[in-house]
Amino acid sequence: MLKLLLLLPLLGALLTGAWPGLGATAYWRIALVPACAALLFAAGLAWHYDPAGPLFQFVESRAWNARLGSHFALGVDGVAVAMLLLTAVLTLVAILISRHTNLGGRLYYSLLLLLEAAIFGVFSARDWSLFYVFWEATLIPLFFLIDRLGGENRQKAALNFFLYTLGGSVFMLVALLFLYDAAPGHSFAMSDMAAGGQALGARMQVLIFAGLFIGFAVKMPVFPLHGWLPLVHVEAPGPVSILLSGILLKMGAYGLIRAAQTLPAGLLSVQDILVALAFVSLLYGSILAWRQQDMKAMVAYSSIAHMGIVLLGVATLRPEGFAGAIFQMVAHGLLAGLLFLVVGLLYRRQHSRNLADYESLTGTAPRFVFFVAFAFLALLGLPGSAGFIAELQVLLATLASYGAWAGLLGLALLIAAAASLRVVGRLCLPGKPMALQDMHRGEVAAAALLATAILLLGCWPAPLLTLIGGSVAALAAGFGS
Amino acid sequence: MNDYLSLLHDAVWLVPLLPLLAAAGNAWCLLQGAPGGDAAEPPVVRLSEWSALGALLLLLLIDLSAWLYGMPGERRLGTWFGTASWQAEISFLLDGLSLPLATLAALIGWLVLRFSANYLHREPGFRRFFIVLGLFLGGIQLVFLAANSLLLFVGWELCGLASFLLIGFQQQRTTATGNALFAFVCNRIGDAGLLFALGLSAWWQGGFAWPAAPGSGVGIELGALEMRVLALGFVLAALVKSAQLPFTPWIAKAQEGPTPSSAIFYGAVMVHAGIYLLLRLQPLLARLPDIQSGLLAIGLLTAVYAWLRAQVQTDVKSALIHAGVFQVALMLIAIGSGWTALATWHLCLHAAWRAWQFLRAPSWLELASRRPAPPPAWLARHRGVYTAVLQAFWLDRLGQVLLVQPTESFAHDLRRFEHSFVDRAIGEPGQGEAIDPALPLLRADGWPGRLLATAAVLLQRLENHLLPRGRGGEAERHLRRFANYLANLENLLEQPRYLMMAVMATFVVIL
Repeated sequence: MLKLLLLLPLLGALLTGAWPGLGATAYWRIALVPACAALLFAAGLAWHYDPAGPLFQFVESRAWNARLGSHFALGVDGVAVAMLLLTAVLTLVAILISRHTNLGGRLYYSLLLLLEAAIFGVFSARDWSLFYVFWEATLIPLFFLIDRLGGENRQKAALNFFLYTLGGSVFMLVALLFLYDAAPGHSFAMSDMAAGGQALGARMQVLIFAGLFIGFAVKMPVFPLHGWLPLVHVEAPGPVSILLSGILLKMGAYGLIRAAQTLPAGLLSVQDILVALAFVSLLYGSILAWRQQDMKAMVAYSSIAHMGIVLLGVATLRPEGFAGAIFQMVAHGLLAGLLFLVVGLLYRRQHSRNLADYESLTGTAPRFVFFVAFAFLALLGLPGSAGFIAELQVLLATLASYGAWAGLLGLALLIAAAASLRVVGRLCLPGKPMALQDMHRGEVAAAALLATAILLLGCWPAPLLTLIGGSVAALAAGFGS
Repeated sequence: MNDYLSLLHDAVWLVPLLPLLAAAGNAWCLLQGAPGGDAAEPPVVRLSEWSALGALLLLLLIDLSAWLYGMPGERRLGTWFGTASWQAEISFLLDGLSLPLATLAALIGWLVLRFSANYLHREPGFRRFFIVLGLFLGGIQLVFLAANSLLLFVGWELCGLASFLLIGFQQQRTTATGNALFAFVCNRIGDAGLLFALGLSAWWQGGFAWPAAPGSGVGIELGALEMRVLALGFVLAALVKSAQLPFTPWIAKAQEGPTPSSAIFYGAVMVHAGIYLLLRLQPLLARLPDIQSGLLAIGLLTAVYAWLRAQVQTDVKSALIHAGVFQVALMLIAIGSGWTALATWHLCLHAAWRAWQFLRAPSWLELASRRPAPPPAWLARHRGVYTAVLQAFWLDRLGQVLLVQPTESFAHDLRRFEHSFVDRAIGEPGQGEAIDPALPLLRADGWPGRLLATAAVLLQRLENHLLPRGRGGEAERHLRRFANYLANLENLLEQPRYLMMAVMATFVVIL
């Protein structure tokens, strides 16, 4: 099952890459097929995943290097299924809105599909070595996507991104090797390593967890390891920003959750530090988002704040905190996708990201007005949007564990609201009108897909909460709550 | 048979809903930009009229069944909302008090609708009038039929809103809108009393049911003080709605509306809503003789006041309304004396009679072939009393001096305080200064805004040290400088003298 899911975009990438000499639109059509198929496949996976059954389903394992104890092991729990679905949706969206770009066809689409395959691998790996391989494999298509197709500072941005994340991965690799050495079975399989890790002493667990955390915190990103993010998000082409912010950041959070399962005592002893880091990330991201007049940079900094909410939810070590964090991963994935989509489309028309270069769009571009207003209001976490459910749960968990400190979360959300209302006020309220070509049909379809998902999860969160329920319970059980 | 009967009784919710639906339908047409003109009038009238007639027929059917098979009593249709400690129910009370009044109101409403179709022909706002009248009819039926005070409050507010809209019907006239506001604000005093009573009722009784007769074993028994406080809230609401002293002036100002609306509001129906509320509360009032005597006194005073005022009125509508207030005061006296049956009869008869009179008012000049009688001679002789009556005993002026002016100056002072301190401290939207000339859209005002701006500037500086390069990032420069230091150090170490020193230092450490 899962092998097929990995192969689908991979085959698509090979097909697109190997087919010479077509027009950009023809490549777009070819790329749509595997992207749609992957989405259908992921949806089928979510449909067949039984929340009442065993935690990990669709498991398949084959010895890869028997001497080292590494396996080609795949398997998913509720969190991974949600992430796979999110990946499939966002990749499809990214491809959908690429039709009218001048990004070129062949290289671009095959890289996008390669990226999708690698991310699928990250989320479905049940072996740390396999996880690491896929983790690093995402860097290669991303590097070329940014380096070849980004904005004016693209080379700097690509190199920064590559070096920064690779630097983080080194810590992760060292930590994994330590863990491998410390675990009795000498196996890289996640379950074996979890059994070995839980048996270690607290000091050792903290050390190993610190290494893993640095690797994941770079990706998430957590202050002060977020240095790569603003430049890369701003310079990356619009569709790639969607994938970067929508999914790549979630890989960090996903890894953190897996690490929490492996080294519970380590996490428990640094809980307060993590909460403090989360609050700093939240406030830092919000205040800097408010400070930006560049729309893309603003959204990028608000991503830091939102991933701070994820870290906060995990660090509370409570069931509602875990549920909120995982819900926030999905919600922020959809939301960041929509935000970068809208901002990217605006940039493609106006060739500026500076808010001062835009005037009121009412009357001239009603579809833009709707989606800009929707996206930036959803960014506030208004009730009815998916973010509300997530933030509420994290808030409750924080209140229960840390009491009045939860007020900081409210403060950060307030500042982010000021920033996003500024954009809404400039673009979506009556004012000096500006002429702008409205969204095309395909772009509306992509944006509507994301907006519907945000609304649906905001009004009816039960299916997603049921899907991740088993994982949340297992996580919380590891911390005795 | 019983099934059909209970089906019929349960359909009572249609009675308030039908006029509201008609109003909603007309409002929808108005919002859709339906054309005006002569051709547009009949459908508007037909919709309103049929809904009113439907409500009337339904009530008549219920009346008939009540006459044949006995009073249906309370019909519970469901729970509106609630918490663990109290419930708000959707329930209607069909008994000997509510059914006649509701039927009468439906009849008068239907007649007034028919009358208005001709009376308002080609008036601007024709459709608006029928929308508001629909709101009013729905509201008043809720007042009469509700089996709990919360549902009554919904109708009460609908009537208040409708009266506001009807008094200010001619929006272009400032007197009309001013009087509408006056009446509305006066009514809010009563609403405050009602809300107060509602809150206490939920708090003490765990619901909004009407207080039961003593010893009936229904509901929670309240203490003497609690009963008094609860009754005072309801009585305040009733006094305002029925325009008793000291709230009488509002009803004189409410004469700005078109005549049919005056008929249905003040003359016939709404002025009796307060009396109805008091009748409903009879079991409670019967145990509070002090409040009853208070009602008696207020009724007497109002009767004298209204009678005197009626002597000096020069236009027919004002004369009628003062006569109406006089009759309502008599009902209040009856209630204060405990003669509730008398008050009920008086109410029904007065409503019917006064509605007829109000509808005839526009043709009064033609009907009364002679001049109206002058003020009586004894009044004309006593100049002081005459002036006092003419000035309505300076009640308006009193209210102005005692309530309005202090409130105004207080509000003025508050506004000044807010302008000079609060606004400056918390900032105003759109007033701020740009925090950076290069970023004109980032504005901050007030203390929190400035604090945020300062934090943002500082954090941006920190961020620049963290960013590798590009977007003002400097981390790479720092790294490069550090690398230069290291390279220098290495160069130095390669020179023989320092190499030797390093070797010797190593030996020293080892030894």
